[in-house]
Amino acid sequence: MEADVLIVGAGPAGLACALRLAQRASAQPGVLDLENVSVLEKGREVGAHLLSGAVMDPRALRELLPGFEKEAPLDSPVTSDAVYFFTQGAQVKFPVTPPFFHNSGNYIVSLNRLGKWLGRKVEETGITIFTETAGMEVLYDEGGNVRGVRSDDKGLDRDRRPKENYQPGSDLHAKVTVFAEGTRGSLAKQLCADKGLARQSNPMTYALGVKELWELPEGRLEAGSVAHTMGWPLAAEQYGGGWVYGLRDRLVSLGLVVGLDYRNPLFDPHDAFQRWKTHPFLRRLLEGGRMIKYGAKTISEGGYFSMPELSTGGALIVGDSGGFLNSQRLKGIHLAIKSGMMAADTVFDALAAGDCSAQRLAACRKSFEASWAHEELWKVRNFHQAFEHGLVGGIFHAGLQMVTGGRGLYARYGAEAGHRRYVKLTERPRGQPSRVAPDGKLTFDKVTDVYHSAAKHDENQPPHLLIHDADICNNRCIREFGNPCQYFCPAAVYEMVEKDGRQQIHLNPSNCVHCKTCDIMDPYEIITWVPPEGGGGPNYENL
Amino acid sequence: MPDAILTVIEQQAGKLNRMSLETLAAAQAIGHDLGREVEAVIPGSGISELAGQVPAPKVYAIEHPLLEPYTPDGYSIALRQAIEHLRPWLVLLPHTYQVRDFASKLAASLERGFVPDCIGYKVENGELVLTRQLFQGKMNADVAFAGQPPYFASIQAGAYRADQLATVSPAVERIDVRLEPTQVRSRPGERFQEAKQTVDLTQAEVIVAVGRGIKEQENLSLAQGLCEALHAEMAASRPICDNGWLPMERQIGSSGQTVSPKLYLALGISGAIQHLVGMKNSRVIVAINKDQNAPIFEVADYGIVGNLFDVVPPLVEEIKKVKT
Amino acid sequence: MNIVVCIKQVPAKDSTLRPSQDGTWIRETDISYEINEPDAYALEAALRLKEQHGGSVVVLSAGPARAQTVIREALAKGADRAIHLDDEAFVGLDAYNTARLLWLGLKGEQFDLLLTGLQSDDLGLAQTGVVLAELLGLPHATIIMDVQPAGGRVTVKRELEAGWFQMVEMPMPAVLTIQSGLAKLRYAALMGIKKAKTKEIRRITKADLNWNHAEWTNRCVIRRVYVPQKTKQTQFLTGTPKEVAARLVEKLKFEARAL
Repeated sequence: MEADVLIVGAGPAGLACALRLAQRASAQPGVLDLENVSVLEKGREVGAHLLSGAVMDPRALRELLPGFEKEAPLDSPVTSDAVYFFTQGAQVKFPVTPPFFHNSGNYIVSLNRLGKWLGRKVEETGITIFTETAGMEVLYDEGGNVRGVRSDDKGLDRDRRPKENYQPGSDLHAKVTVFAEGTRGSLAKQLCADKGLARQSNPMTYALGVKELWELPEGRLEAGSVAHTMGWPLAAEQYGGGWVYGLRDRLVSLGLVVGLDYRNPLFDPHDAFQRWKTHPFLRRLLEGGRMIKYGAKTISEGGYFSMPELSTGGALIVGDSGGFLNSQRLKGIHLAIKSGMMAADTVFDALAAGDCSAQRLAACRKSFEASWAHEELWKVRNFHQAFEHGLVGGIFHAGLQMVTGGRGLYARYGAEAGHRRYVKLTERPRGQPSRVAPDGKLTFDKVTDVYHSAAKHDENQPPHLLIHDADICNNRCIREFGNPCQYFCPAAVYEMVEKDGRQQIHLNPSNCVHCKTCDIMDPYEIITWVPPEGGGGPNYENL
Repeated sequence: MPDAILTVIEQQAGKLNRMSLETLAAAQAIGHDLGREVEAVIPGSGISELAGQVPAPKVYAIEHPLLEPYTPDGYSIALRQAIEHLRPWLVLLPHTYQVRDFASKLAASLERGFVPDCIGYKVENGELVLTRQLFQGKMNADVAFAGQPPYFASIQAGAYRADQLATVSPAVERIDVRLEPTQVRSRPGERFQEAKQTVDLTQAEVIVAVGRGIKEQENLSLAQGLCEALHAEMAASRPICDNGWLPMERQIGSSGQTVSPKLYLALGISGAIQHLVGMKNSRVIVAINKDQNAPIFEVADYGIVGNLFDVVPPLVEEIKKVKT
Repeated sequence: MNIVVCIKQVPAKDSTLRPSQDGTWIRETDISYEINEPDAYALEAALRLKEQHGGSVVVLSAGPARAQTVIREALAKGADRAIHLDDEAFVGLDAYNTARLLWLGLKGEQFDLLLTGLQSDDLGLAQTGVVLAELLGLPHATIIMDVQPAGGRVTVKRELEAGWFQMVEMPMPAVLTIQSGLAKLRYAALMGIKKAKTKEIRRITKADLNWNHAEWTNRCVIRRVYVPQKTKQTQFLTGTPKEVAARLVEKLKFEARAL
């Protein structure tokens, strides 16, 4: 199939790109036929794999769709902001909310619902969104420029043999391909490796957000109330914190964000989240409530210096895949949307000029640097890295950065990829950390939570978590790091089971919620996450 | 007599269908609560002797050579005439494959609705309200009739017990119906059995399900023995099907089948929520697991904390004893 | 051969189901929908028959605007055109009336076979196809695993209880209700998804049917819908394996009456 523009991923970045292309095409006819713009989405429907807290800065959406407030599915405008510091049994409210946590003028949204709405608007323009279609491989032409993407094979069994309804993937060619796969995009990863796009950048660092949606008794929490927590149960040297957002209809979005650069290989982010809920403040909040949905997703937190080059011949990278996220404000939706819009302008101008060369597409960098997105990301360019050595140091550096326009102590703070920071078991105190025993009412085990993510995959398909050498898992990792995959995966995909007299790694791929933590955090870099057959994965309805 | 509850009795190869007797029990319960007589009707050819075995005070035998073998045209037309003649208040049928084939056609020919697969009933303000399952057992619905009788409904297998029926010798009355060969449009062949390619666990009355506790594939034979003793279908939790020890059609749970059989035995299944949602509405649940904290016990009626390899063999013996 | 397939959009199996405000149905906001699974198999059967014998496949669906998603998916898989009965007035019809509505929607259509799924995953009434057959005056068969048309007649394989089957033969046109699993469902090809956007979906509203509401009273009325509550008291049986086995069988036979 031939197209003019191929967008991989129907998240806020990809959909904003599509919408902006449609706007340009209608303002300037004759350049782009929207029939020749395709969006690929691996989820069963648009929004199925979109997960965020989320408090959205409306700035970018206002640019893209003025008057969006009238029809966008916004849950509530933010009515109050608070930051708490948790200790084990108590909490201290910050007397002054730090400026980056000021949310007045912002909206609490469900990214899933926002995505669905944007998706409908895209389809109204005549652009086709191919759901249940995953991009598996980046295609290049003889000149080494990106030519498109190969879509997933359908109907293969777990031994990769064709089933009765086998349908091979298609080579989808386009003049320009926009990679909008979100956090740790598998194609973006391939592209950056093939074309060296991350050579000059810091390694991208990530955090994992683990979220639940609860229904509370009437009047418990005001819609629009925003609270963030720091401290317990995260240790001083850990990056992260929790959030509690009051929604309409007695719903509350809550979760814990944990930096994926912790030292203890036995640390379990899902367990930390369950523990966090047992804090008296939250226990009281959730008393009598009911957990209705669960999800987990990583966040590209590296910031400005971790962003790869955003373009190469035939391709652009947008959204989380490009690192468009403000880790200080914990906001990425507006930056994703803006990056999609800028990419669309670059692409449209290139098509109008009949020139989609690498130099032409590099214009997106210039437009980024001239935009408020750049201004915002530049100011927080060293934020996440400030916390390399823990909370106290982090607060010091972050504070310093705020008064120095983002510079802080060093022009560019160093950063180390998260998976390199584990301390070996031999160098740590012995024994397992204590884990929360789930009570099924306030706290839940991973398997129960995964059920509430509606994660579903056709069982009889090739495993999509490729472990390049299971011997390392069973013989080396077990001694050196204790198989952290069984702890860092928030979906109980990885298990060590007793088989043939010893512990061996066992996978439950159909639990996968596509968070990408394993691709990021396995200490030997031997796990590669590839998209499973399109349509599989969680269904983050209303999350 | 008019305004009675007329139970449609199914027969096959000279034998009364057990579900029909359960339906008769349901009819009796409803009849008792609403002050209605209970009668039965049995369509077929050469079935007058069989009619005499139906434990209802009054049995109508619809005799016609074209009613054997069963066809939906034959049964609908014949029963319609019988109903127009007998003018019952409620026509109650067993929810068999056969009834699913013709009952709504029969009701529609009289411009009536049909409430199928009921698991119980209530009386509300003197009115009959039937309970049936929606969303594969995840929810129940209470349904009432509107408009004029006769009303049509069918009863789910095992919802009522046939052994509660009093032994009664019926007065049998023959009903003649007009049925022409041209009216019977389908030509059924002989029934035959096949090792089923796809299993429909949702129709099984007894299911034995195995989980990780079965440990090795060879041990499935233990569960198989229990299946045979109980005339049950074998099923499994996801890990067993994942390993390829049982085909995926036998998987129970959110990514497999949802069932609500009369009896469900869970052997070595821990009871993760993904599995529970596929079977928790089973009528009677028995769980055998080594771990007393296994969540399966939260939905079990009877729990045995123990080693399934120790418990299942004597269980098979005991079952064989009562089944003979 | 010309085939009509009736398809229904139902709540997705993994959706959180909660009773609505008035308790007579489920809360329909914010849940996902999908094609009724047996209907997907009916469509697959129809598409295979078209591939073997030529002709056309028309999909027919009664449902609100959101049902267009499953209609488009059917067109993407290879159905030729669609008829969509979509009107406020059509909401909440019982099984008999729904079949009547579909019957009206079919007026003017010529077909050799009309296929439906054997029942729907939401209500599970299993009547649409059978009542349609009665209204159309056509022969029918239910729970069908295989369809072989030849010379104006069709031979089908009917599923019966407990692993038994039966072949049945009848003249066409005929109505068949299809069992899940009769074949592997095909995926919609990307080209198919694109082409589906230009295929015809004819919308029928009550105005097109000279609708007289008085003629459409339901005969079966849902009073309430609820989650079945089970007050479960688990009885733990203890003793030696032999004792426990004997006790369990006794309980199952006399107390639970499950044996």
